[in-house]
Amino acid sequence: MLGYALTRVAVALGLIWAVVTLVFLFIHLVPGDPAELLLAQGGVAPDPAAVAELRDKLGLDQPILAQYLSHVGGLLKGDLGSSLLDDHPIAEEIALRLPRTLELIFAAGLIATLFGVPLGTLAGLRAGGVVDRILAAATGLGLSIPVFVVGTIAILIFAQKLRLVPAGGYVPFSRDPAQHLLLLLMPATTIAVGLGAVMLRVTRSSVLEVLERDYVRAAHAKGLTPRRIVLHHVVRNALIPVVTVLALHMGSLLGGTVLVEFVFNWPGLSGELVRAVEQRDYPEVIGIVLVISVALVITNLVVDLLYAVIDPRVRHG
Amino acid sequence: MAGRITNRLFLPAAMVAAIIAIALAAPLLPLPDPVKMEVSARLAPPSLTHVLGQDEYGRDVLSRIIWGARASLAVAFLSAVFAGVIGTALGLLGGYARGVVEILTVRSAETIVCFPPILLALLVVTLVGPGVATLVIALTILYAPGYARVAFAATLATRGLDYVTAQEALGARPARIIARTILPNVASPLLVQFSLTVAAAMVLESGLSFLGLGVVPPAPSWGLMIRGARSTMEQAPWLLLWPCLALTGTILALNFLCDSLRDVLDPRAGVPQARWLKRAAAHVLPTDNPVLALSSLLSVEALTIEIDTPAGPVRPVRDLSLSLAPGETLALVGESGSGKTLSGLALLGLLPASMRMVEGRVMFADRTGRLRDLARLSESEMRRLRGNEIAMVFQDPSSSLNPVHRIGDQVSEAIRAHHQASRSETTASAVRLLTEVGLPDPRQRARAYPHELSGGQRQRAMIATAVANAPRLLVADEPTTALDVTIQAQILDLLAALKARGDMGLILISHNLAVVSEIADRVCVMYAGEIVEEGPVTEVFAHPRHPYTAALIASAPEGTNAQLSAIPGTVPLPHALPAGCTFAPRCGSAVEDCHTVKPAFVEVGPGRASRCLRWREVA
Repeated sequence: MLGYALTRVAVALGLIWAVVTLVFLFIHLVPGDPAELLLAQGGVAPDPAAVAELRDKLGLDQPILAQYLSHVGGLLKGDLGSSLLDDHPIAEEIALRLPRTLELIFAAGLIATLFGVPLGTLAGLRAGGVVDRILAAATGLGLSIPVFVVGTIAILIFAQKLRLVPAGGYVPFSRDPAQHLLLLLMPATTIAVGLGAVMLRVTRSSVLEVLERDYVRAAHAKGLTPRRIVLHHVVRNALIPVVTVLALHMGSLLGGTVLVEFVFNWPGLSGELVRAVEQRDYPEVIGIVLVISVALVITNLVVDLLYAVIDPRVRHG
Repeated sequence: MAGRITNRLFLPAAMVAAIIAIALAAPLLPLPDPVKMEVSARLAPPSLTHVLGQDEYGRDVLSRIIWGARASLAVAFLSAVFAGVIGTALGLLGGYARGVVEILTVRSAETIVCFPPILLALLVVTLVGPGVATLVIALTILYAPGYARVAFAATLATRGLDYVTAQEALGARPARIIARTILPNVASPLLVQFSLTVAAAMVLESGLSFLGLGVVPPAPSWGLMIRGARSTMEQAPWLLLWPCLALTGTILALNFLCDSLRDVLDPRAGVPQARWLKRAAAHVLPTDNPVLALSSLLSVEALTIEIDTPAGPVRPVRDLSLSLAPGETLALVGESGSGKTLSGLALLGLLPASMRMVEGRVMFADRTGRLRDLARLSESEMRRLRGNEIAMVFQDPSSSLNPVHRIGDQVSEAIRAHHQASRSETTASAVRLLTEVGLPDPRQRARAYPHELSGGQRQRAMIATAVANAPRLLVADEPTTALDVTIQAQILDLLAALKARGDMGLILISHNLAVVSEIADRVCVMYAGEIVEEGPVTEVFAHPRHPYTAALIASAPEGTNAQLSAIPGTVPLPHALPAGCTFAPRCGSAVEDCHTVKPAFVEVGPGRASRCLRWREVA
């Protein structure tokens, strides 16, 4: 188990290094002078003085290796640079906002799992039946509606028309826990619609596959009740690929928060990212992209380790 | 087949085609200018001139929806095509040249997949600024790796094929091979990838436009329209509805097309069934006059099993009769496809959902001495017998043990299914059982997972599970086939030892004559779903009364696994049985009658029977 864990950690560290390097190189891969590009507005050539100032600020005049080393050195010290607009340290901004985004994702994953896994199991057990068909249609729809459409329509119905929940916003948990959770409910559920549909589909096909396994037949041969067979022998094995898929979708989930945070005014990382993109605040964008990508790698690491707990065979692989 | 394919694709393809046609025809349709403002008619509800109403600047909503479709579809299709061309080229090159080229093309493209898609798009927007061109660039970068991966995998698969190697040997140029031979073969996975990409690009484009980072106003786009309608949601909620419906409907149609394409192009299509859970009570035969006396433990009379196939019902087991006394060992012998495993599963009521017993009786004397017809028991009655009075050992212990549960739990589970007992009691029983089946260090092994045991140990654990409730009848289906030869003997010794302790009846299903002759008292030889010969093992093997039995014995090398392939021809399939004797087409002694007359199962001596017209001559 320890050897397995160490290998996974080493792979994750390598990936993080690759991500850092790629993001660093990104600005240099664009044809032309990045400083000119960043300052260009609707095809008008920018003021040369401003370009020179920006080049200096971004350190673009130094040799590329020196830039890379100072970039990585800064990262190791937790320094992500400062905003082009008001010089505030980017790392501080991210430290404030990242937990809010993670909370949103965690809540969405929880809701999606709570609905997706049991309903997917049900659909798998009733494959070809009425329940299965209804759920198949529902997942097809859930996978097709863009997340910002779900969010906007949800606001229209539940906030504007029914007035059940506020249309959006944020209150720190420490100030008003009930209001905090109420405000979390709609954005998290919005993300959970698409994710839950994915999990339902994967659970369904996984359950169907496990039902065909010899050990399920052997469990029947023991005279176990169908209930015990499903709960004890089918679901646990069926969950293994579901966990993987959940991990694979963390990427699109993180992407989904960009839109959802915007729709619901959730002051997480993604809202800041949209603002930074709008204002062409390159260091800030880079910082947020880096943090989210590294968070993604770490999530995958955690899932890999979790996988070993669910499936004892993995520990020895 | 072709008709079915067109039917499946027709609806989604027609939907997508209609959407594209409307978007393309936008300039020809009598629509108001989508960007012409009319501030006095701000948020006007639907009217005759403006069917869907007017937006926050008084622009015609229907016109903007249709023109917006052009923007969305153009971005999605353009980027899907560009990404397709670039990605496919990279994938083909990487897959064809391998080595360094593979690293430069496919592997480097794949690193892009590490990033969440929308973040990468936002990086591009930051550098280049928003706009349609930016969107196409960003989406092309995003989706090219997907194509590269698909094209790479398909190229590798195609490259190894003989006709590609042959062309290389003939000196065809690589470019020509790629274009003429490999590309057509990777076309169908790429087609699926293309439709997936269009749908994904559409979602991303509308999302970015919604954020104000995609299509630049005042140009119409669905994402922008939703963004605009959000601010006037209170006064004019219908403005939100139209673009949402248009966007969701289009993506739904595209996804629908993707799914249908995949189903059509994937030969494995079909609805999988939950086989083992679906033994419906309806499959049980109607009640029959009970048999009042039974001297033996089990008596199967004229059992026939039917399976539903697309071509109609067929009968893989017909007119099966056998009996078993307490403490007796009966072997069911035959080639694969002879119906011996199905017969064994039928005894436990474990036939797959598509199969059922349609004729005959399976009389079983339970512990209380009551006679039960297993073909007519309800599922819940059958479940109380299963693993309790009737148990089964399966062929492959590796796949029959649940990989995620400890061995001890899997054994004690069988006890708890039939007895009220505390966890510590059953755990103790499990360890005792594992000791009895000869597992070394049973206390520790009980806590191990299946993958930590050797094949022989796993089969011992399976046997421990089967005998956990001291069954009256044990069905062992090829219990040694998956094991090494040295382990095989140990497992057979174990079965013999367990049997010697009490009066458990054993039905041993095997194709291995050496195994059978070692531990069975009587043998039933099965061929193409019927018993063709029955009798005491020693007598049957010494003096077979059926040509098939004789051929089996002749083809089995002494002391090793039976090599049955030495009999010419193959077992007939259950839906194409010969008119006369089922073995006649392969039989060296067959005469004319054998091909037309169905032989009856007749007594040919004390305790012996044969299904052969010429049993007197062949012996």
